[in-house]
Amino acid sequence: MTSDRIDGYATALIEVARAEGSLDQVEDELYRFARALESSDSLRNTLNDPMIPAAKRQAIVEDLLGAKASPTTTSLVSFVVGAGRAHDLPAIIDRVVNRAATEKDRTVAEVRSAVALTDEQRSRLAAALAAATGKQVEVKVVIDPSIMGGIVAQVGDVVIDGSVRNRLDQLTSRLS
Amino acid sequence: MNALSLVVLAAESAPEPAHTPHTWWPEPYEIIWGGLASLVVFYGLWKFAVPALKKYMAARSGRIADELARSASARVEASAEAERIRAAKGDIVSERARILATADEDAARLLTEGRERIVTEVADLEARAAADLVASRGRVLAEVQADVARLASAATEEVVIRSLDDATRHRLLEDAIATIGGHA
Repeated sequence: MTSDRIDGYATALIEVARAEGSLDQVEDELYRFARALESSDSLRNTLNDPMIPAAKRQAIVEDLLGAKASPTTTSLVSFVVGAGRAHDLPAIIDRVVNRAATEKDRTVAEVRSAVALTDEQRSRLAAALAAATGKQVEVKVVIDPSIMGGIVAQVGDVVIDGSVRNRLDQLTSRLS
Repeated sequence: MNALSLVVLAAESAPEPAHTPHTWWPEPYEIIWGGLASLVVFYGLWKFAVPALKKYMAARSGRIADELARSASARVEASAEAERIRAAKGDIVSERARILATADEDAARLLTEGRERIVTEVADLEARAAADLVASRGRVLAEVQADVARLASAATEEVVIRSLDDATRHRLLEDAIATIGGHA
């Protein structure tokens, strides 16, 4: 898909979410779904399979997100998948998140954590990352059990890895 | 008939006395005729036998001289042959000595070279064995270290996983936030 088309889809999603008054929530939910889609080959292949009817693929999305995301988020993802753009969904969502952050004069900080963060923890983490990077950040949390504990934060090209997985890898490296 | 025959006939024709006047001394005529016969015999011997005897003796002397000459020649030849044999023997002895000396030198050289080669080969083998030992020790140590590291990592990870409950994860999260904030 061309950049213009990605921009078009991103703009549409932002406007719908904004119209619904839940841009921040939708933004977060879309971001988590994009990361889940990237990490799951079977889900990605299923949603991209042209042999599966669009209605069936949309039903799959609604089954997956129905209980975990807002109706707006579910509808938006279902719309993109129904349009046959599931392959570009992560790029579209990243563009949505980046544009939303830019509009708020912020930079997206992708934070991977083994457990969900409370709002208060997100606020403190955002403040800490802002202080560490010198940028106002929009924290996007992805639950990633593989890091075992702690967090991995990426702001632009800067990666701050405070995960248990990283410490275990360092320990293994020192022992080898 | 020759003179000897005449003397014998004259003697036989003389009258034989009835007896001799003396036992040991013959009659004069016997002395005369006997003397004459002896002279004739001696003459005949001198005339015919002595030349033949001289000739025979001369021939014998010649043969003896020839034999002596041949013996002398043979002796000279034998001496020459003996000298040649002695010389050959001397050559053989010197050649034997030379061959033995050469063999001794070759043996000594081969022994020296062999010892040097063996010493070099032994040194090479020792160096190679030492290098192999060091390499093997390093390899084994590396393998053991890698195994220990792998097992230690696996054990550590297992212990960490078992110790990670929700409270610990939240504490780690708070520690991470505090750490990021502390680096600011």
